[in-house]
Amino acid sequence: METRIRRIYVKLASLLLAGAMSSTALAQSSGDIDDIISPDLERREIREAKIDSEDFEFTVYLGGILSVEDFGSNSMIGGSLAYHINEDFFMEAAYGQATLGESSYERLSGSAPLLSDDERDLSLYNLSLAWNFLPGEIFILDKFALNSNLYLIGGAGNTNFAGEEHFTYNVGIGVRMLAQDWLALRLDVRDHIFEHEIFGEPLTTNNLSAQLGVSIYF
Amino acid sequence: MTTALFILGSLGSFSSSVVAQPETVSDSAENSGDVFVTDSFSARQFEDRQPETLAFDSERVIVGAEFLNLYTGPGRGYVIDHVVEYGEPLWLLKRRTDWVKVMTRTGKTGWAKIADLDEIYTTEGEQVVVPTPGIDDYRDQSLRVGFAYGDFAGANSMGLSLGYRFTGNLSAELRAAQTIGAYSDSRTFQVAVVHQPFPQWRVSPYFLLGTGVNITSPNATIVATEDRQDTTMLSGIGITTYLSRRFALRAEVANHYLLTSREENQEIVEWKLGFDVFM
Repeated sequence: METRIRRIYVKLASLLLAGAMSSTALAQSSGDIDDIISPDLERREIREAKIDSEDFEFTVYLGGILSVEDFGSNSMIGGSLAYHINEDFFMEAAYGQATLGESSYERLSGSAPLLSDDERDLSLYNLSLAWNFLPGEIFILDKFALNSNLYLIGGAGNTNFAGEEHFTYNVGIGVRMLAQDWLALRLDVRDHIFEHEIFGEPLTTNNLSAQLGVSIYF
Repeated sequence: MTTALFILGSLGSFSSSVVAQPETVSDSAENSGDVFVTDSFSARQFEDRQPETLAFDSERVIVGAEFLNLYTGPGRGYVIDHVVEYGEPLWLLKRRTDWVKVMTRTGKTGWAKIADLDEIYTTEGEQVVVPTPGIDDYRDQSLRVGFAYGDFAGANSMGLSLGYRFTGNLSAELRAAQTIGAYSDSRTFQVAVVHQPFPQWRVSPYFLLGTGVNITSPNATIVATEDRQDTTMLSGIGITTYLSRRFALRAEVANHYLLTSREENQEIVEWKLGFDVFM
């Protein structure tokens, strides 16, 4: 019996409590309704900083060497344009030109050359994606600490020589040293892999190139 | 019974006043609140000094975070060699990817992460945000550049595309591609309209319609023919997915309908995989 009465009391108490709270809530909301609709909060002004970006990198090859299987190693000229997506990745379009030498067969057999002079002009381009996977510093003697990064790069492109287009994959690795924020020295080594049929049968070739470039960020 | 009710009633009113109390407490705390960063003691302390070598267009801001790390280069792999304190002025010089080069009042330069620059203010107390490239909202207008690699009816293809999004659903694209095959090589140039019905989806499908030209050069070693230039109609479907704010992968299958001068028109199906970068 006693417990039942206690239960009733508890129920009554909770009802009263709820009533009191809701009534105060109601009173409050009706009183403050204008404030809610038109808040006199001070709005924070936010403005975009007027700031220049420097995400593009233009590279000119100071010196390059391209070794084309069977046609010797020859100097290459060219350059590239890169766009830095974030601190880790950049995309790059590169172009290069070289003039091929004679193959050993042509030199030793003494027969007519396989390719005409025009056909010995090689041009290549590629669209690649690179990953700056080892950022850090390079120390030169006591005085200089240059920011640097080592990157892995790979992509696809086209190699034009011997009057033919050759679909070319490239993979490589490179190192970039920043002398200034906007000026860098790059050395990269690539393997250009393509298939050609100059000797009659399809032949997959690995053609290595190394190029030293100077790049400017803008 | 009545006394009990009375006690309960008073309890109820007491509890409601308890509920009301915290609000007044927080109100008073807000009113007496801390001094705004640009009026703070530290901001005034730091105010007078200015670096000697300063670009004319660099913007002056005041740091509102407790501290700000400055790195020697724009990347997490570089060293933090300087720290700027609360209230200290900074000059914003330039941005590279997600980093900003800044100069401190002593003329020291360093790179700050844009994510760390979420509390900087002008002298007037206006908050400054550094605009970051990429896309915050799928409804944003944005420019994108993409590379794509694929299979063009058995031939290898690679291409470049430049896109501009007008609305969440609609964008225009300029595309150029080169394909290299066993029997012929070709170059294609197209203008296309891309429609994304559900741009808010994580993996979002799209449809495209376009037109362009296809310049085909048969391989001379097999047959001696001239280059052909055909107008093409392009239709395709694809899917795209964001890997980050700036980077999206896409896969596409497109049908090139070549309006040739020969008796029959030619259809070429192209599959490709690529990525887009938002600028």
